[in-house]
Amino acid sequence: MLEWFNELMWILLKIGFILLPLILAVAYTTYAERKVIGYMQLRMGPNRVGPKGWLQPFADVIKLATKEIVLPSGANKPMFLLGPILFIGPSLAAWAVIPFDAELVLADINAGLIYLLAMTSIGVYGIIIAGWASNSKYAFLGAMRSASQVVSYEIAMGFTLVGVLMCANSMNLGDIITQQSGSVLDWFFIPLFPLLVIFWISGVAETNRAPFDLPEGESEIVAGFHVEYAGTAFALFFLAEYANMILVSCLTAIMFFGGWLSPFQGIPYLDAMTSWIPGTFWLLLKAAFFLFGLLWLRATFPRFRYDQIMRLGWKVFIPVTIVWIVVLAAWIKLQWWPFNG
Amino acid sequence: MELTFQQLVFYGFSTLLLLSALMVILSRNSVKAVMFLVLCFVATSGLWMLLQAEFLAVALVLVYVGAVMVLFLFVVMMLDIDIAARRHGFTKLLPLALLVAIAFLFILHWLVGDNHFGLEQMEAPSDHDASYSNIRELGKMLYTDYFYPFELAAVILLVAMVAAISLTFRGKRSRKSQDIDKQVRVTKADRLRVIKMESSSSSQQTDSKSDEESNENKDKEQDK
Amino acid sequence: MLENYLPILVFIMLGLGLGVGLELVGFILGKNKPDDAKNSPFECGFDAFEDSRSKFDVRFYLVAILFIIFDLEIAFLFPWAVVFNELGWFGVTTMAVFLALLVVGFIYEWKKGALEWE
Repeated sequence: MLEWFNELMWILLKIGFILLPLILAVAYTTYAERKVIGYMQLRMGPNRVGPKGWLQPFADVIKLATKEIVLPSGANKPMFLLGPILFIGPSLAAWAVIPFDAELVLADINAGLIYLLAMTSIGVYGIIIAGWASNSKYAFLGAMRSASQVVSYEIAMGFTLVGVLMCANSMNLGDIITQQSGSVLDWFFIPLFPLLVIFWISGVAETNRAPFDLPEGESEIVAGFHVEYAGTAFALFFLAEYANMILVSCLTAIMFFGGWLSPFQGIPYLDAMTSWIPGTFWLLLKAAFFLFGLLWLRATFPRFRYDQIMRLGWKVFIPVTIVWIVVLAAWIKLQWWPFNG
Repeated sequence: MELTFQQLVFYGFSTLLLLSALMVILSRNSVKAVMFLVLCFVATSGLWMLLQAEFLAVALVLVYVGAVMVLFLFVVMMLDIDIAARRHGFTKLLPLALLVAIAFLFILHWLVGDNHFGLEQMEAPSDHDASYSNIRELGKMLYTDYFYPFELAAVILLVAMVAAISLTFRGKRSRKSQDIDKQVRVTKADRLRVIKMESSSSSQQTDSKSDEESNENKDKEQDK
Repeated sequence: MLENYLPILVFIMLGLGLGVGLELVGFILGKNKPDDAKNSPFECGFDAFEDSRSKFDVRFYLVAILFIIFDLEIAFLFPWAVVFNELGWFGVTTMAVFLALLVVGFIYEWKKGALEWE
């Protein structure tokens, strides 16, 4: 009995070490987003709360926590409250299999990659339930749009992951990273470049971020599936969306850019000089780069039209990934392949 | 009896499975029923995981929870079935339903009960160490030894795809929308025709008029 | 093997628990003064005059159905990709036939116009 208890506490402690930095990262991603987009549009961004606005995220948290959770009159109340919970649960649980360094992973499972895909696909329920339970036309429309968009891009994402698996020969995320060790030239972004592009763009679409943010589309359906939400119920959607953004950035780094591997690997002197830097630093650096890319996209591109989104997903990404899988198979099987492990 | 932790998890998932299965048929709201069905699948996945079938357990969540139930939810949300009206004949049909249920239970026990699937017939899976990957084992079997059923699955999926399209798809609607390809591919000859007109002779003028008319007709045809 | 999945079970519980907890925090810390205007569904100044859960385009179903089929295809491709290096030409050919059949289906739906969103 005591043994279980100890084990459980130990697991909870480890989860805490993932969740707390994650939530802090989410808080400061919202701040970074406003600052980055602000400067890109020649504005200052938030600069009133604390020095240079550093305390802005905390002010936001306090504000959201003390706001009333409005329950719309026509809403199906238990389902209305269930929506955000179903959205946040999987998006946090997906972090269980992310390797932050060699041996630094909470759940070192063999089905890691498919587990991630499963978790992202469950997130759809939160959106659909939220849109349906709100009893608002805008919410319902947003939910429908979001569901079919997420679902469409998940196929493209799944196919790109097949390409990664063919190179790595394992679904374990740690193994995928160690397969890329050697030097920068061994990272998967070189043989899988088209898949990298598709994976990242699908990731943007999966997280409903600009320019794929039609489910929110504030100019036509006000805020999409979370139009009726307020207070912490809304905060849950927000938290999950940003956690997903960081997750997609981390996954891009892990699957195509060697995760926690140092970029100086294989370079004689630089490698020795930088070996004291922990792998987590490299992973976070790479992830931060792609996260910045997400913010940049939002500042640069106008929103897509719905038919354009569907066309891109079904008619461009899926054929390209299928073709690239075939090419990859032929490449590896015919031994005409410099990356043969 | 001392419960091991695994047994505790097993009973937890089984209870969850049975309760949510019960709620699927008892809940008055069809969307809620679907959500309980989702819970059923999640609990089942937990049970499969306890049998060490990691790939199948996660694939169950990916395919059934992540895809099939989304479609269910779509359908149920649109149909908006009035369950209260459906309950009308509940008490009248109850004896018959009970009879069918008991018969079904009996057959089920006979087919998949202890005599075929008990621990004597099938041993409990042994504990594998962390490095064991049954995805690998599955892959080695599925695409070589079991290639025939595998290809049959492909054919079934193909049939499903064609059937889905022919059942739900009603063809293109005549909505006016931009076709960018068409616009870009347009050449001067598609839009503009220079007609020679001579002002002097009246007979030629009528000729050119008819020429113009035929051009217009052509344009209309092209628009169609 | 199973001991690796215990943290995941705990994590999922904790993730859902966090959702419940934060909503409770919202109910405790936040005000609770509902009134009719505040609780009415968002509209541009008039009462909603139709059931909001209206019928929607059949295309959404089609996308959902096609998604199921492709999702299954991905589920079949995953173990294949994992053992790809160990499979001989036979296993590769098996998958080639499988993919070819689905590509036929994909071309069919494309040509039929089921992927068009006007």
